[in-house]
Amino acid sequence: MKAIDLTQVGAGREVRVSRLECAPGTCQRLREMGFCENAVVKKIRGGADLVCWVCGTRVALSARLARQILVEAVDGNS
Amino acid sequence: MAVVGNPNAGKSTLFNALTGLRQRVANYPGVTVEKRTGTAYTLHGEAVELVDLPGMYSLSPRSPDEEIARKVLRGESPGIPKPDAILCVVDASNLERNLFLVTQVMELGIPVVVALNMVDMAEARGIRLKPEELSRRMGVKFIPTQAHRGKGLVELRTALGQKLTDPGERRWVMPPPLATAVGQIAAAWRDALPAELGAEGRALELLAGSSDGPEGARKLAVAWRERFREQAFDWPAAVVQARYSYLRDMLGQAGVGHGHAQLTWTDRIDALVLNPVAGWGVLAGILMLLFTSIFSIAAYPMEWIDAGFSAAGEWVQGAMPAGLFRDLLVDGVLAGVGGVVIFLPQILILFFFLGLLEDSGYLARAAFLLDRVMHRVGLTGKSFIPLLSSYACAIPGIMATRTVEDPKDRLTTILVAPLMSCSARIPVYTTLIAAAVPAALMPAWGKAGAMLGLYALGTFTAFALAWLFRKKMLGGGSPPLILELPPYRRPSFRTVALRMWERAVIFIRRAGTVILALSILLWFLCNFPHAAEDPSERLAKSFAGQIGHLLEPVIQPLGFDWRIGIGLVASLAAREVFVSTMSIVYHSGGDEEGLIETMRTAVWPDGSLIYTPVTCVALLVFYVYALQCLSTVAVARRETGGWKWPAFMMAYMAALAYAGAWLVQTVGRALGS
Repeated sequence: MKAIDLTQVGAGREVRVSRLECAPGTCQRLREMGFCENAVVKKIRGGADLVCWVCGTRVALSARLARQILVEAVDGNS
Repeated sequence: MAVVGNPNAGKSTLFNALTGLRQRVANYPGVTVEKRTGTAYTLHGEAVELVDLPGMYSLSPRSPDEEIARKVLRGESPGIPKPDAILCVVDASNLERNLFLVTQVMELGIPVVVALNMVDMAEARGIRLKPEELSRRMGVKFIPTQAHRGKGLVELRTALGQKLTDPGERRWVMPPPLATAVGQIAAAWRDALPAELGAEGRALELLAGSSDGPEGARKLAVAWRERFREQAFDWPAAVVQARYSYLRDMLGQAGVGHGHAQLTWTDRIDALVLNPVAGWGVLAGILMLLFTSIFSIAAYPMEWIDAGFSAAGEWVQGAMPAGLFRDLLVDGVLAGVGGVVIFLPQILILFFFLGLLEDSGYLARAAFLLDRVMHRVGLTGKSFIPLLSSYACAIPGIMATRTVEDPKDRLTTILVAPLMSCSARIPVYTTLIAAAVPAALMPAWGKAGAMLGLYALGTFTAFALAWLFRKKMLGGGSPPLILELPPYRRPSFRTVALRMWERAVIFIRRAGTVILALSILLWFLCNFPHAAEDPSERLAKSFAGQIGHLLEPVIQPLGFDWRIGIGLVASLAAREVFVSTMSIVYHSGGDEEGLIETMRTAVWPDGSLIYTPVTCVALLVFYVYALQCLSTVAVARRETGGWKWPAFMMAYMAALAYAGAWLVQTVGRALGS
């Protein structure tokens, strides 16, 4: 399944995190906040900075960071 | 007992509900304790000392705030004993993420009790909470609470009085290579320090790079770290995944549902406030409301305070025989302290609004919205909250930078925070604007516009210098924004009121100590040596007059005379002292209108007016830029860990103030005014 970055996902879609490509400290914080590999996240808002629903909370990310989060479609979602 | 939890879990609300007014906040210069402490009582009346720690996502600290919390939990914070127990506050509507921290806290070897907070919101989202089942599976007691409604407090107080036990063995499964490493390091730790619990947690910290522990354990940790690096094994990622995997399975087996991520009214409000166009309108409207309230609503209580101090002055004058002591009380103590206490309503209104915005969840949205602007000057949206707080006072602003994770971002924010016009500048601005243009010629909107201009000058300069410091001086990129947007909630007026009460106490204590002492000292300097009966001649020959005369050649290019020099020196400690100093210098007895009238007629020896509009503007610009606040310097020293940056801050701001005032005066003269 092809991995795309989080900015390329449409608002309202659910995706599965496949890989994080940011600096180690940032990766660790992302994981602690729920953006672990294999975690399912829902993109709520798009735009220059975006908002995702992860582990029951809304988390805002800058587009720069979202480009370093690679995701793939959840089964049944394209 | 320490109170810990994720940000936005309702930790402070629960802390307030448990301790009420029995709180102590020690966060001002000279005091090393940085935590909020309070006394709660068990159902049997036993006192329990609670320490409210800053919100944290993990025990692996990424911000100074989280570092403080970790140190207290480890018993490594000077003056704070290691807690006997930990109260973990978790947001019940977001269990998976909140329990992640609990799994870490359970490894500290300290008894833990969990407050399952905001159960109403969780149930509204369709989450089936099963506290007994969670207690059984995790080995710690779970107590459902609704802190803002005071529900569950009786059960919590009962639990505080019971003997809590250590959580015992770890429940999550470590991946095999890591389990071997942690097992060996923890065994070496136990051999050296058999009495200390939580060896596995310590082993993980050593692996992460901590240098604190017995030598044998440290050497093993270094060797394992190296081996993992060679094997390209990302063990920190594996630990996070293992914890989350355990939590997901445990919550699933316990029958706790995830709830439904349906579109809530939070999302509907967000559609407006995060909109790239409408969002800015909402932010501008809120800020406008905030500043209008500060200047209009506060005027009434300020008049009452003013009248109170004037009445007290008249009473003292009537009740005491004329003499030096009466002068000291009326011109020194009452005029000096009264001139400062009068600004209490404005400070309280500002903290009221900030409290409402924070408690409702809006402040995080404002930070998100401003992230793009802040990014242009090299910062992230997280610097917005400290900078906004600095409009009230740079001290809480600088302390709020602890949530900024990147050290260079944090330092830049600290360096520019005092440029945001704080409430202590308001009296100086008001007095000088009135001195520059007679009230009759200045409509109300003109005064408000002038004020706004001064705020804008400080703000734009802060952003320009942030760009210079962050991008050109400190270098390196700033970390990307990761920010939790909590659901909107009805603000707890109790929490906001408690925060205002704290500020009022701190402010009045300052007025009663620093400002009082400075007012008495200043009165002494203005009246001694007692060389003449004529007040102005006496002032000219006094110690203060001598200092002012000494300073005059330096400040004359700015259009300032020796009397302004006295004001500048006296207000080095606190800006607001300028007004009370001028009251003493011009013998106006603390009456603002009398002072402005006297200032408007003050002349140079050649008969020309001192307070021309240009000089007033130059003085205003000077006060926008100058770092005239010892408390800010002290807090900056504490937060940056030395004198280097506070010294830099004082130097650059003094240079900016002098250059700005000189430029105004030079341009003003060139234009022929």
